Amino acid sequence: MSSSPDPLAQLVAFGHALRREGLAVGTGAVVEFARAAALLPAADLYWAGRATLAPGPAEIERYDRVFRAFFGSVPGQRAPAPLGRRAGERGPGLGMTAAEGREASKGTAFLASPVEVLRRTSFGHLSEEELARLPELVARLRLSPPLRRSRRRRAARDGELDLRRTLRRSFRTGGEPAELRFRARTRKPRRLVLLLDVSRSMAPFSRALLLFAHAAMRADARWEAFCFGTRLTRVSAALRDADPERAVAEAAEAAVDRDGGTRIGESLGQLLARREHLSVLRGAVVVICSDGLERGDPELLGRRMARLARLAAHVVWLNPLKEDPRYEPLARGMRAALPFVDDFASGHDLASLTALADRLAALRA
Amino acid sequence: MRAFSYDGRVGFGSADEVERAFAGESYLADRGLATALYLALAMRRPLLLEGEAGVGKTEVAKTLARLLDAELVRLQCYEGIDAAQALYEWDYAKQLLYARLLQEGELEPDRRLAELHGPEFLLERPLLHALRAGAGAVLLIDELDRADDEFEAFLLELLSDFAVTIPEIGTIAAAEPPAVIVTSNRTRELHDALKRRCLYHWIDFPDVEREAAIVRLRAPGVSERLARSVAEAVARLREWELAKRPGAAEAIDWAAALALLGVATLDEETARATLGWVVKNEDDLRVVHARLDELVA
Repeated sequence: MSSSPDPLAQLVAFGHALRREGLAVGTGAVVEFARAAALLPAADLYWAGRATLAPGPAEIERYDRVFRAFFGSVPGQRAPAPLGRRAGERGPGLGMTAAEGREASKGTAFLASPVEVLRRTSFGHLSEEELARLPELVARLRLSPPLRRSRRRRAARDGELDLRRTLRRSFRTGGEPAELRFRARTRKPRRLVLLLDVSRSMAPFSRALLLFAHAAMRADARWEAFCFGTRLTRVSAALRDADPERAVAEAAEAAVDRDGGTRIGESLGQLLARREHLSVLRGAVVVICSDGLERGDPELLGRRMARLARLAAHVVWLNPLKEDPRYEPLARGMRAALPFVDDFASGHDLASLTALADRLAALRA
Repeated sequence: MRAFSYDGRVGFGSADEVERAFAGESYLADRGLATALYLALAMRRPLLLEGEAGVGKTEVAKTLARLLDAELVRLQCYEGIDAAQALYEWDYAKQLLYARLLQEGELEPDRRLAELHGPEFLLERPLLHALRAGAGAVLLIDELDRADDEFEAFLLELLSDFAVTIPEIGTIAAAEPPAVIVTSNRTRELHDALKRRCLYHWIDFPDVEREAAIVRLRAPGVSERLARSVAEAVARLREWELAKRPGAAEAIDWAAALALLGVATLDEETARATLGWVVKNEDDLRVVHARLDELVA
């Protein structure tokens, strides 16, 4: 950086380069960066930026890339593992891109099929136009998961004595606590965690499921969604995009599995292997959407499901194959998982998703 | 050891100095952490530390407090934590008693009801305590990701002006803000506003060299050879797909246990007997037992 006539200009340019890479680098952050750089020897410029411009593992990865391009090299240190691993490129498997989705919605000035028909049609049989109408229908779905007791307390008719308010009251009676006040614990909705199978056998349902997940992510900032095939990807952030088409496309791009197979046991293993995921799962309502056609070891799947069931408050398995009344969970994977599932439903159309939403709301902690 | 004054406050003159001082307190900080700490003190900004459990996030604050000769004020966050538990609370029982005494005329009439909200009835919680202690304290806000969003917003306000207003008493401001370390395990993403407020550092697992050095520092009875073989095995364990990857704390415990047993270097047999020190999850134990030969290879 000594080669530049104006070091400050170079720092600012670096900030702009980071911004182009998608990092949220405000002017304030650049000022902080410059202050930090001024406090450190030139060799530590990398660390000045790390501390001020790259708040998170994903950001550090991008920061390193830009820094290398800008200043040549990065001090030797392993990059931390990002929260959810991103797939490098998009492979075959899921028939959904933003372009396709938009294409479809353009053609739907008027849609003949009434809502009720759409509600009852299996996702696997929906046309592109009908799929394009899904977001607004799914958005109307009222997702209210069961409640749990929170540590917070608020005024109540009975419960434990609320000394603070009792005392306040007592001032009216000359310091005599004549009227007692009470407080009770509040209840909070449990977190909803969606685990979506995006392997090839689930392809007809993937788009609808991702749209469903999008509606859920938009409903509550604390909820999480993961996609899995042969490996696990956290797609919560991608799905929080306001535009459903863009959200679904981005999530699909992150999650697409080139292999196309299903290794549910291993994917669950990846989910259970990370501490931050564990706290997400603890006490949550977990909804798994998969046909249960496990290619891996069914026994492993059983063990992972047992652990998941111990962590979660309620485990729901949606299997679109169940749409067929003659279906029996004979696949070995499904059979191994079933003992740990609280609710086994089909989830193949909107009506069944609505029924599920109602059942979840009816559960009480 | 007491660090000298920098920029009007107790601190360090450079990142190297931080690194050396921490090493003197048996904490081996890498270049990045030392730089981040130095910047946080020099720029008077809170430092947000993230990283896996067991990489020594909390220990950073403890060590810093020792070095600055300051009091460590720790606020452990949990879901549902609110101002009453973090900032201050009135001592209601005492207030009630006082009110009764007033009524029974046991107290002089000029001490009036208003005094019910005097400082003597105020129960100090960690944040208020740190504000009052000012530069004499290192405030550790531990596992902020566990608290709710609302608490984070409240904290943001406090970290911006280091002052708090108690309606009955007035504003209490820190003459000199305390050094603040915030830690998070990333169970959820913290808000951008808070991240902007803080300097950031990600603490990674140490490499084998550093880990061996840490083990030697923390468990003095451990030979160099044993420390190295433990560090190598732990590094291997972290590569495997385990539910709980062992941190530096586990490596230290394991090495100390092995040294107590008189083990010179790790082999399959001694590893099997002491595995519980480093792998603490039943599923993981099964995995590791099946691959013991690779572990000590």
